[in-house]
Amino acid sequence: MKNEKNNEITLFLNGSEQRFCVETDETLLHVLRKRAGLTGAKKGCDLGECGACTVILDGRAVNSCCVFAVQADGKHVETIEGIGTAEHPHPLQQAFVNAGAIQCGFCTPGMIMAAKALLDRNPRPSREEIRQALSGNLCRCTGYERIEQAVMMAVEIISGYAER
Amino acid sequence: MNEHQFENVNIGIPRLESLSKALGQAKYTDDLRLPNMAYAALVRSPYSCARVLSIDLTEAEKIPGYLGCLLPEDVPRQYFNCSGNPPSPLLIHDELVLTREPKVLGDRIACVAAETEEMARAAADAVQVEYEVLTPYLDVRSALREEAKAIQPHISEDNVIQYRDVSQGDRGAGESASDFIVEDCFSTPPMQHVTIEPTSCLCDFSDGEHLTVYSTSQTVFQERRLIAEILGLREADVRFSKPVVGGGFGARQQLHAQHIASLMSKKLHRPVNLSYTREEDLYSVVRHASEVKLRIGASRDGRLQLFDVEYYLNAGPYTTHTPTVVAAAARKLQYNVPNYFFQGYSVYTNHITGGAFRGYGNTQISFAREILMDRLADKLGMDPVELRLINHVQVGECFPCASIPVSSNGIEDCVRRCQAIQAEIDTQFPLVDNEEVRQAWGISFSCHGSGPSSKEGLSSAIVMLNDDATVQLLVGSSDIGQGSETMESQIAAECLGIPLSSVRITAADTLLTPYDTGTFGSSQTFICGNAITRACDDLKAKILAQLRVIFPEGKVEERANRYVVQENGQTTELDLAQAARKIMYDPKGGVMIGAGTYKAAACPNPFSVCFVKAEYYKKLNAIRLLDIIEVVDVGTPINRLTVAGQLEGGIAQGVGYALYERMEINPRSRRTLSSDLLHYRIPQMDDMPQTYVDMVDSHDPYGPLGAKSVGELATVPVAPAIVNAVRRTSGQEINALPLCDRFVILPSRRKEG
Ligand code: FES
Ligand code: FES
Repeated sequence: MKNEKNNEITLFLNGSEQRFCVETDETLLHVLRKRAGLTGAKKGCDLGECGACTVILDGRAVNSCCVFAVQADGKHVETIEGIGTAEHPHPLQQAFVNAGAIQCGFCTPGMIMAAKALLDRNPRPSREEIRQALSGNLCRCTGYERIEQAVMMAVEIISGYAER
Repeated sequence: MNEHQFENVNIGIPRLESLSKALGQAKYTDDLRLPNMAYAALVRSPYSCARVLSIDLTEAEKIPGYLGCLLPEDVPRQYFNCSGNPPSPLLIHDELVLTREPKVLGDRIACVAAETEEMARAAADAVQVEYEVLTPYLDVRSALREEAKAIQPHISEDNVIQYRDVSQGDRGAGESASDFIVEDCFSTPPMQHVTIEPTSCLCDFSDGEHLTVYSTSQTVFQERRLIAEILGLREADVRFSKPVVGGGFGARQQLHAQHIASLMSKKLHRPVNLSYTREEDLYSVVRHASEVKLRIGASRDGRLQLFDVEYYLNAGPYTTHTPTVVAAAARKLQYNVPNYFFQGYSVYTNHITGGAFRGYGNTQISFAREILMDRLADKLGMDPVELRLINHVQVGECFPCASIPVSSNGIEDCVRRCQAIQAEIDTQFPLVDNEEVRQAWGISFSCHGSGPSSKEGLSSAIVMLNDDATVQLLVGSSDIGQGSETMESQIAAECLGIPLSSVRITAADTLLTPYDTGTFGSSQTFICGNAITRACDDLKAKILAQLRVIFPEGKVEERANRYVVQENGQTTELDLAQAARKIMYDPKGGVMIGAGTYKAAACPNPFSVCFVKAEYYKKLNAIRLLDIIEVVDVGTPINRLTVAGQLEGGIAQGVGYALYERMEINPRSRRTLSSDLLHYRIPQMDDMPQTYVDMVDSHDPYGPLGAKSVGELATVPVAPAIVNAVRRTSGQEINALPLCDRFVILPSRRKEG
């Protein structure tokens, strides 16, 4: 079986329209890391089991290692690089830092993107909803306690904005 | 207790590098790109024991992008030991870069390279290897049977790599002094580290003379030495540089595939990336499975009289760390006992190779000991906490068969703090005991060292003063996610009396930083920390000396990090920045560089107490963990946020170990069942019970600013505390992990509201 080469796809990647030539069986994660040079999404398993590669595809958190790039054609892709900067980090990014929710940090981009997808949809989640939304994201370092706290902190910050 | 006032330590602050991680900017090994980089993949044995009959590259060579292959006869043939420990006769050499006689699932047979990672994998899969499949010995018992074949005949005929006997007292005397003796056999499963970042390296040996390696490394200086030996290079021509690392827990306290990737780089004259798949990572190394036969005897008053243990570790087919893991286990008994017998066996098998894993032998022996202590308490009719406390080693006393006295001990405070938290929980959620459900608490104590117990820890630091009173701190120790770079910077800031923001650290690059034994044995805070305090003292002494050269007539003193010069009846006070400028630009000035080294003469023991609340559903034979409390004496916690994080992470690993983690090999197919993260399950967010962690006030006289260690300590008491809780709720005696073999595991957490 031969891969058809040269499928051209368009991604709205962190708000900017970009074209890529991809192979039929190439994953979105591969395109991000190898073609777009965005290494924030991590490869922890390449099998859809760890969540380190989580990005937001048209508003939903997905394991980008389980999405074929051709399936993402024409869609909006948000990655960790697109949601905040050192000067203006996203409230989740700042909360993860302040809460001590980051140790080795390898799970962090995926955790933050999964949490962002949750908060975009449900700005006031309960602790149980947070735990459920993040249960596909594995972390071996933190025991998750501070990750949960960080998301709660971000909820407070974001709802503070909303009230202003 | 305000005896010790600090500005920059014993506070909780976010990691220095955490924002770059949160932004997705931190660069891990597999994020690095070098021009003209190629990718390598390994051809690995699918069998636990076999002989290679032939290797056929025809199909592999047809894969587009194929660049080349290395076979066993193309690489150096001398045996080595991949352990990242400093050289020791215990580290027996029995491993090869590539082999035609695979002794374990995943053994390296050949290496192929291609233009992309996918092509390299496809080429590796296309290599046709014909095997003669042999019968493996997967557990210690079968490997020790009389008729078992020798797995490494040039090392051992009977598959015992090493026997270690550590003892004091007299067995008969211990028996006759004991009114009660409890005994049982305990077994623990092989557990995998599951760092979320898979193992990876990028090696550039393009010119065949100078080698640069970027890799997931805990022990850059040992890895440099090993690879120099294997490749016949001089250490000065090898650079190991550690990028950001996604966890270690011991898995990277060894060489993994840097040797073969370097050889491939030399062959291709191109930099080579070699990264493991999750499956490769899973079967690369484990915490040793153990069999522990233990007898504990006590007189009626609860005093321990006898501790008699036979300790077997399943090494897999390569020695790597095993005899040092056994040795470390021999001196981790925190209770006084006059008659102590430890017999440890390192045993070759064909199971997955055992290596270093957080706890390093302590985990397995503490598991057996703490469960049996609970049974002993029942026999004596004593409270399990009091039984442990009356036997506990005090300051000035030594652990059985150990030579360094305990220098600080906050275990009683740990107990009291745990009990206070326990009382709060039970007030809010009173213990349930009815027809259906029974809840109970279980406890465990533990200890560890603050560095390798063999006193081989050695570290060094350099502090260079800039003219604006900022400093460059250079250390060889690796931050693998545990937060050592922040902790080290805090120690330097505290010692120099400057803000943390004035310290810039460079760590773990053999080209740029001074020697450090490595990140293992929970040694970073104590050993590297002590090197830093010495480097800072050296810097301060040099500043004073230089000021005295500049002001030869005057009297120069340091007071609270300010330099006071009295000359001709005038007093001038210089802060560090003013002193730095004066020194650097004065005609009699100089460059201020402080250096310090620390050879671990002491190894203070940190202590931990863990309480677990669990419930048992009688009809379902199901268990649920509700709350876990862990309170520790780690001396001065340098960064309280980091220490708390280490405890919480250690608890999570203990939960996984207790409940369901085990690398399994299917006895029929003899292949691993645990080939991915669905079949090797680590705790998810939703699996974790409520956790409570704290540190008691403590100060160790030998620690840098009073600090001891935390990393390994955190996880050791968790599994036995869980078992002790489950034992009390279910009324069943337990002597093996994981508990999912015996019980249905219910998701942890009470429902909210
Ligand atoms: S890398 Fe995609 S889920 Fe693990
Ligand atoms: S911080 Fe290391 S895996 Fe989550």
